[in-house]
This record gives sequence, C-alpha cells and structure tokens, in this order.
Amino acid sequence: MDKVIYGCDEMGQDDSEKVGKKCANLGELTSAGFRVPPGFAVSLEGYGRFMNETGVRKRIDEYLSSFDADPSRTSDMPRYEEASVAIREMVEETPVPADIDADIRDRYQVLCEAAGGTDVPVAVRSAGPASHPGQYESYLHIRGADDVVAGVRRVWSSSFNQRSLIARARQGLDVVFDPIGVAVLQMVDAKAAGVMFTTNPASGDAGQIYIESNWGLGESVVGGEVTPDSFLVAKAGPEILERTISEKKLWFVVDPATGKPAYQEVPEDKKKAPTITDEELLEIARVGIKIEEHFGGAQDIEWAVDVKGAVPESIVFLQTRPAKHVAEKKDPIDQALDLMMRGF
Amino acid sequence: MTAVYGVTQFEFDEENDLKNYDVWFCDLAHSSPALKPLFVLHDWLWPGYRAIQRAYEHLSVPTSTGWDIRLIDGYVYVSVMLTSDEQAKERSVVFRERIRPFIEDAAGLWDKRKFELMAAYDELKQSYGLTTYDSIHELSNIQMLELFDDFLQVVSLQWNVHMDYFIPVNYLYGSFETMCQDLLGIDHGHPLFARVMSGFDSKSFETNREIWKLGARVIELGLEDTFKQIEDAVLLLEALEESESGKIWLTQYRRFLDVYGWRCERMLEWATPTWLEKPALGIPSVKMAVTTKGVSTTDERRKNAYEDRIAAENELLSQVPAEQREWFHTLMKAAQVAPYFSEDHNYYCDLYIGALGRWITREIGRRFAEAGAIDDPEDVYFLVASDIQKTMIPMGRVRLQKRVEARKKEWQGYLATNPRPLLGNPAAMQEVVRKDPVLSPAFAIPKVREELKADLYGGGSAPGVVEGTARVIMTEAELGELQPGEILVAPGTSSQWTPAFEIVKGIVTDGGGALSHACIVAREYGIPAVTGTQQATQKIKTGDKVKVDGDLGIVFINR
Repeated sequence: MDKVIYGCDEMGQDDSEKVGKKCANLGELTSAGFRVPPGFAVSLEGYGRFMNETGVRKRIDEYLSSFDADPSRTSDMPRYEEASVAIREMVEETPVPADIDADIRDRYQVLCEAAGGTDVPVAVRSAGPASHPGQYESYLHIRGADDVVAGVRRVWSSSFNQRSLIARARQGLDVVFDPIGVAVLQMVDAKAAGVMFTTNPASGDAGQIYIESNWGLGESVVGGEVTPDSFLVAKAGPEILERTISEKKLWFVVDPATGKPAYQEVPEDKKKAPTITDEELLEIARVGIKIEEHFGGAQDIEWAVDVKGAVPESIVFLQTRPAKHVAEKKDPIDQALDLMMRGF
Repeated sequence: MTAVYGVTQFEFDEENDLKNYDVWFCDLAHSSPALKPLFVLHDWLWPGYRAIQRAYEHLSVPTSTGWDIRLIDGYVYVSVMLTSDEQAKERSVVFRERIRPFIEDAAGLWDKRKFELMAAYDELKQSYGLTTYDSIHELSNIQMLELFDDFLQVVSLQWNVHMDYFIPVNYLYGSFETMCQDLLGIDHGHPLFARVMSGFDSKSFETNREIWKLGARVIELGLEDTFKQIEDAVLLLEALEESESGKIWLTQYRRFLDVYGWRCERMLEWATPTWLEKPALGIPSVKMAVTTKGVSTTDERRKNAYEDRIAAENELLSQVPAEQREWFHTLMKAAQVAPYFSEDHNYYCDLYIGALGRWITREIGRRFAEAGAIDDPEDVYFLVASDIQKTMIPMGRVRLQKRVEARKKEWQGYLATNPRPLLGNPAAMQEVVRKDPVLSPAFAIPKVREELKADLYGGGSAPGVVEGTARVIMTEAELGELQPGEILVAPGTSSQWTPAFEIVKGIVTDGGGALSHACIVAREYGIPAVTGTQQATQKIKTGDKVKVDGDLGIVFINR
C-alpha cells in the first residue's frame, strides 16, 4: 500500500500518478533546491482509502444507479448540477479515516511550528494526475487543523463538481471514482505575485521571458481579472527589455474583516506604481531560466514576492508546468510579409 | 492631343487621361532638362517603360499594375495604374511569394545579375570584333545597322534587369518607411531614418577615389599651377602635352579613362559625350580634386557614415518593442539594399550602357554627317530609329536635314519651357503615393508645411543644416564653375556629379526623392540636402545666400 502523506522533498516529477501533477512538480522544484513554501501532499492513495474505507464510494454508486442523464445534452445539465450537490454533501459529511486525519493534523502542526506560529494559514490545492480531465478546486487561507482536514476533504469532493462529473461522463471514464492529490502549502504573505512564461508566448522567442505581476496574491493574474504589469526580459543577461506598468484597479488580498482573501480595490497610491522592483524582476527571471533548464522545456510558472525578507529569499515559486499555447516561433520574414499584406 | 517628335505612342490625351487618372507628375530628376528624341524614344521610354510594367506584372504588386507614362512638352510624366480592392487581394497572394527572395537576399540576387549585364555588354562588343574604342570605325554600314539593332536588344535586357530589381527593392524600402511611420512616427525625412540608410559602399565611390588619386598626382608632379591657371580644359590638356611631367600625368589619366571613362556626361543620354571620347570632360572633376590638394575625404566621410549607421540602427531598433524587433530588423536590412542598389546600379545599368549607346550612335552620326544626310554628327540625336534604318544603306541618297531642323526646333521649345510638376488633382498625390510604395522614394512629392514659412519644401532630404552661397548648375558641363564651400543648386544630380559632393557644403534639387542620387550621396558625405523642391533652379539665383535645412527638408533664400 502506498503512502498517504508526502513531504515536498519526498516527491519528484515522476510521481504524478501518486500525488497529482501539481504536487509532483512542486516536489521536483523542492528537491532541486528551488524556493517553494513549506508544505505536504495527500496522495491519491489517501483519496482512495477515504472513498473505500468510509463506504462513501458505495453510497455514491447507489445514488448514481438511478441517475440517468446525457452529458452531451444541454437540457440535462441541471441534473448533473443536482447530482453534484447531493454527492458533495455525502462526501463532505463523511469523517476522514482516523489515521489519515491524525497524519494531516501532525503534518500541519509541524508546518506551524516551523513557521513559528499557530493556526498558520495554508492553501489547500487540488492536484489531478496527468490525463485527468476534471477541473478541481482549491481553497486559500485555511487556518487551524480542523479546517485543514475539512479543506482536504472539500478538495476531494470537488472531483464531484458539476464540470468534473460531465467531463468524465463525456469521456466514458468512471464517474464514481476519480482519485486526485491534494497539496497543502503555507500561504505566502505576498506583496506581489504573478506568472512567468520562460518563452515569449506572443512571438515564440525562446530567448525572452514574459512576466505578469499584480499586487497581492497571484490569483488576480491567473484569473485574468485585472490588467497586470507586464515585463519582457532577455535571457541573455538577463536584461529587462520592456516594462509595461498598467493601472491596477483590483487586487486579491486577505480581507482583515473576514480573514478571507477577496478582490479589493487597489489603494490609490499603488494603482500606477510598478508592483515589483527591477531587482525582484531579474531574480524571478534568473530562477525561471534555471527551472526551465531543470525541467528541460518552456515553463509556465507561478511566483510570489513575500512582504518579509529581501531578494532572493523573498521570492518563492508556487507552481510550474510545461508552457502551453506558446506561439510557434514565426519566421521574421513571414512576420514582415504578414504586416506588408495587411489591408489586402 | 499633341504628339511629341511626331510620335503618338506617349501622347497626352488631356480629356481622357485626366479622367482615368487623378494625377500625373513630372519625372524632373530624370527628364529635365528636356531629353533629345533618339534617346528618350528608343531607350528611356520604350524598353524602359515596358520593363516597369513587366516588373509589376511579374511581381504581382497588389496595389498597382504599373505606371503609365506620357511625354508632355518634352518631359516625362508618370501616373499609377491603381487596382481595385478585389484585384489587390488576388494579386497579394502571388506577390507574397515573389517578393520573399528579395527580403531574404536582395543584395545577393543583384550581385549575380549585374555580372550578367556586364557579360552581355562584353559579348556585344566581341561579336563585332570591337576590341578598341576606335575599332568601331572599321565596321561596314550593314554591320553598323545590325549593331544598332543588337544594341537595342541589350538595352531591353538592361531595362528588364534594372526594373526587376528597382521595383521590389524600392517597394521594400517604401514598406519599411511605412512601418517606421506606423510603429515609431518616423518617416524618410527623419535624420535617424536617413542615417540608417547610409554608409554603403558602391561603384560610384570607387570612381571618386580614382579621381582624387589623379588630383594627388597633379600635386606630386608639380602641375598644380598649370591646372589652376588654364581655365579651359581642352587647352589645359594641350599644355600638359608640352612637359615631361604633364605627359606622365596624361598617361595615368588615359589609363583611368579606359576603365572609368565609360560614362556619358548626363546619365544614359546618348546625346552627351563620354569622358573617353572627350577627355576634357573629366578635367573639372580632377580640378575639384586639386582644390582639395588631392586629399579625398571620401573614405573618411564614408567611414563616418558607416559607423554612424551602425549606431543609428541600434538607436532605431531600441525604439521598437522587443517582440517586434526581429522582423523589423529583417525588413530594415532588406530596405537598406535600396540605397545601395540605387548607387551601384548607376555603373552597371546607366553609365556603362549609356556610354555604349553614345559610342554606337555617335559613329552613326559621324557616317551620316560625312554622307551629307545630316549636317552635324550631333544631329543624329534628333533622328528616330526609322530614320536610321532608312538611311544607313542608301547612304548619300537620303537627306534628313528637314526632320532634324523640325525636331531640333521642337526640342529647343521644350528646353525653354518650365515643366509643370503636377497635372490633375494635387490632393490625390498622397493617396497615390500611399498605395504604391515604389513611388515615394523614387519621385519627390514636396511636403509643404506653410507654418515653417520656408521658400522651398523638399520631397527628400539628407540631414543637417547649413548656410552658404548658392551656385545654380543646370548641366554637367558647368560643373567646373563650382567653388569649394558653395551650395549646389541643380535640376537633379547623377553619378557624374558625385565628385562635386567632395567640395560643396549643401545641395538643393528640383527633382528626386529619398532614394535619388543627390539624397543618397549627400548622406554618404554627411552634407545637408533638400531634394524634389520642384522649383529650386527657378527660385534660387547664383550668389543667393541660402539656408538648407535637411533635418526639416526645407530651404530659405536670403537676397
């Protein structure tokens, strides 16, 4: 039987089928010495044991035995919604097996102690294994052991969200059982955060790095809710080629009133100010080059700058994956011709 | 409708031609002063004009099927045959494929074909056993007639090669200028653009270097006073025969002429003698070299232009957004071939074949005058091809004096006329230029900006500002009058004027755009120039104080 809990340094990029892609990549980053927030992963085995040992899998199976809907018919979509709500309720009401519950609490305790605090906020993120079609959920700024355990279970239950149910039904996969991993990572108190493509996605130029950044947590950049600052950096150097400082209207930040992260208006004095310094930008790019070298291909990387500490310690990496949608590098002659042919 | 020189091929049908075309503009740089009929009809207009249409057709230029041409009052007028939007779209598919090799390596393609031209010139000479300049006298009349026809075939080849390069290379230059405008707000008048387009070596600088070597030799041989005291070039050459050092210099001069003397006084115009034929023609240029003590600044200035270009390229590129830089650089490199080609082709396409034409037609003129068909050998240039065909064999039985008289009178009338720069609607000019990127660098369209309150507005320019005394020079023959430090004012300049750029401070011309000889060479020498003003030689008088502002492309006249 496989392990349920893995430390970040116990996983590598080949472990996607054990812990999910995101955890595997984070493990690889950690093992290779890149700066990743402290945390741990709950494996696919943990999901399987929860589903089987608690009998929840059986109950879902029973519930679905009378379920009849066509995933290709728009009119059947509300029925998937209904099923999703019912199944998620079943999952989230089911207690986690005692040993797994205890292991998660222990690991969280270790994390809190290392951070020198209690109820240290963490992000609980889903990590589907390669080849899984679902779109699972993640929860930010979770505090306290009870909530962390509940958070892990909610991530598991997100494998039964409407989109995932439909996606599996359409692909003829098992609707009842879709093991995924969970990453529990210490929250970064981010001054600014964003994404980095280690190949210029617009031109396909592998000599250039493209970085987007906004104040606060990286969700606002990933989610495309704001127009972030953007930077183009030449790998040679590295040297900053272009800075586009845009007007940032919103940021994703922990609301002191609720203790939960939410979109808020950016304070007036920060709206038009650059979110990161040149020093931070170049350090992010430098590490980006190394991550790309390590993984052997263009990467799409999430990073954050902690409010505490100084460069390079303040800069952490939250995720990396092979960059998709990178433009095929176009022959400059074709580019010139395209422009000359405009208007014909 | 008025036929020019009795030929209807290019006659202007005022009513119809102004209905079908919005605007016609005069090619002042090339056709002013008025050209004589033999050359303009059988070289410049017919095979030349057909070669333009052929190049447009072969390239499938989207916006235009070529230029239409008229001969109006002895001057060449051009308009553009614009296409409809649907035609443009259809033509652009083929165009994309055909223009591509020119973006890849236009200079390489040109270097190959220019040697093909030189080979064709050589073959023409060899097939008639013409090994020396004087051996042409030994041909029979029928050989002479055949040589003339074969020569016209080579003229056709020359024009085809010429336009096969001129059109795409200028198109790319025009496209690059458009991109600079769209992306950076910089046009060809901007000093940075001008700097990026200079610093290229070509055949015409080689000639200048040789002329200055001859000047240095004058000083070395202690002949400086002789050159300064004897104003008349023919008398000077005679005087040089009198002394030992003079003879040494003349030997060197003849060797120079064997290689570089294949040049008519004016561009390709057969009606003007070559330096080979009249060695006195090269003397004003040598005198310019003597005034600088034979010390040429060509290489130094060209080195500066080269270094300045590298700096300017970097400056321009730094203004381009990084992800656009690569294609911009590619297109810039392709566009830079245009000024190089423009100077380099002068030797291969214009000077050499012009000199061949002079050599052959002058021999025909000599024979006709000897047989009494015409009074003066130079009158041959008032004939047309059919006159030559009619007369060559029945030599002595045909009299052409009346034809010559009529056409000479007609030509003298044109010479006295100031051609109108534009016919039709001047406002349509910008649209035509925008639609045909080949046009704007080739022809000057003055950018009139009333707010600058200038006396003249240029269509092309070389950067820098200078004030000085003007000297109006209408033909190459007057170049000897030019004094160091003056501002040269001319209808236009061509390769034969290049030595003048060593000694003048600034240049103003009637015709010529950003790729005209005057603009390109002024940039290479770092001299301010304003070209394509359309009326510089009318408004400026020798002795006037003028301010040439090449940065803004304007001229002020102070009397």
